[in-house]
Amino acid sequence: MSGKPIPLQPAYVLHQRPWGDSSVIAELFTPEQGRLGVLAKGAKRARSPWRGQLQPFRPLLVAWRGRGELKTLTTAEPQGQALALPAGRLASGFYLNELLMRLLTREDAQYTLFGCYDATLRALASDRDEALEASLRRFERDMLSALGYGLILDHEVIDGRPLSAARRYHYLIERGPVAAEADLAAEGIPLLGASLLALQQGEFTTADQRREAKRLMRAVLAHYLGPRPLASRALLAGPPAPVVATEKITTD
Amino acid sequence: MEFSPLIARLMEDLRCLPGIGPKSAQRMAFHLLEHDREGALRLAASLAEAVEKVGRCTRCRNLSENEVCPLCANPTRDAGLLCVVESPADVRAIEQSSAYRGLYFVLMGHLSPLDGIGPAEIGLDRLQARLDEANLREVILATNPTVEGEATAHYIHEMVLARGIASSRIAHGVPLGGELEYVDGGTLSHAFAGRRSL
Repeated sequence: MSGKPIPLQPAYVLHQRPWGDSSVIAELFTPEQGRLGVLAKGAKRARSPWRGQLQPFRPLLVAWRGRGELKTLTTAEPQGQALALPAGRLASGFYLNELLMRLLTREDAQYTLFGCYDATLRALASDRDEALEASLRRFERDMLSALGYGLILDHEVIDGRPLSAARRYHYLIERGPVAAEADLAAEGIPLLGASLLALQQGEFTTADQRREAKRLMRAVLAHYLGPRPLASRALLAGPPAPVVATEKITTD
Repeated sequence: MEFSPLIARLMEDLRCLPGIGPKSAQRMAFHLLEHDREGALRLAASLAEAVEKVGRCTRCRNLSENEVCPLCANPTRDAGLLCVVESPADVRAIEQSSAYRGLYFVLMGHLSPLDGIGPAEIGLDRLQARLDEANLREVILATNPTVEGEATAHYIHEMVLARGIASSRIAHGVPLGGELEYVDGGTLSHAFAGRRSL
């Protein structure tokens, strides 16, 4: 009924939700099929070999059968060592997963993007704090280009002149950078040529470049994500600073 | 065979219980109607009363018909210790098996941004008020060792830390009586990372 068995494929779990008493529906990310919904029968049973395996940020090898929208998971085993994401970086990981859940259509091959995702998760597990932001920006940049929304980061969109690091530009969403003096510029996101070039390189040298690249990415992603905000951003921001506790210190 | 409407409705309603399919629902319905009508009435009354009266404890958010649950109201518990857990079942498990004598805070879930469950949905504003008011010595983070549970523990850890209170995370490791050969890799690596000097 299910055709030929599919050889094991690398995969990450993006999200999972309970299904019935003992099963889960997992949303997988695979290179060959992109985002893929699978039913993992009995995954929550005490003796299930999948118990504890179908977690985000864990490299897996999986196989499934079925032809419908929702496949049935037949095999899932860990591939190599689990990535040890420090607890403080989990929110960044959720951010990547939320982007992929929101922007990827199901069953659309994503070889390059899978590689980027894998590399970014490994960077989250091992990067120093200063390098973290650049890793996230590179992922956003590469994800947009894999989805066909790639940014133009090296030339002006109107006359094709190469960008100059010292000049100011306005980035028009879905078009590209224009010189700050151009007629269209008013609607765009203002930033320095150096920030666009740094984003293209994926390496930032100043705090200004980091800030401008982040603001550009936020605006571009907001355009494709629509009005519903990303829930993982609230987590990334961390808990609000304690107001009462500081008062306590001063009054004590 | 067709059941009369009332019996069919009873069977259908029994299926709202976890793990109860059509067959079990039928057995339950027939048992109640044939052999134990008194029990059925008691069950109906308990259900109605519990659903009407049981709410959340204002201190720990656990299920309780009192405004402050008996556990929170118990003066012999150590009010300097607060254990944060995900569900009422976790409170029960800890109460039954450990010598923990402090108080609890029940999140009724965990942070799960992809399901739209953020800090407010798991009552962290209430927890924050609790951290600010009480003289806590230590907060023990006993959320599940899943990715979401870890993220939740980390978020609360930051809240606790900002208030100068000690926080600790329950240990993860090899189950008692287990054999290393059969323990999954993730647990084993946690067990090594969290090893203790003797």
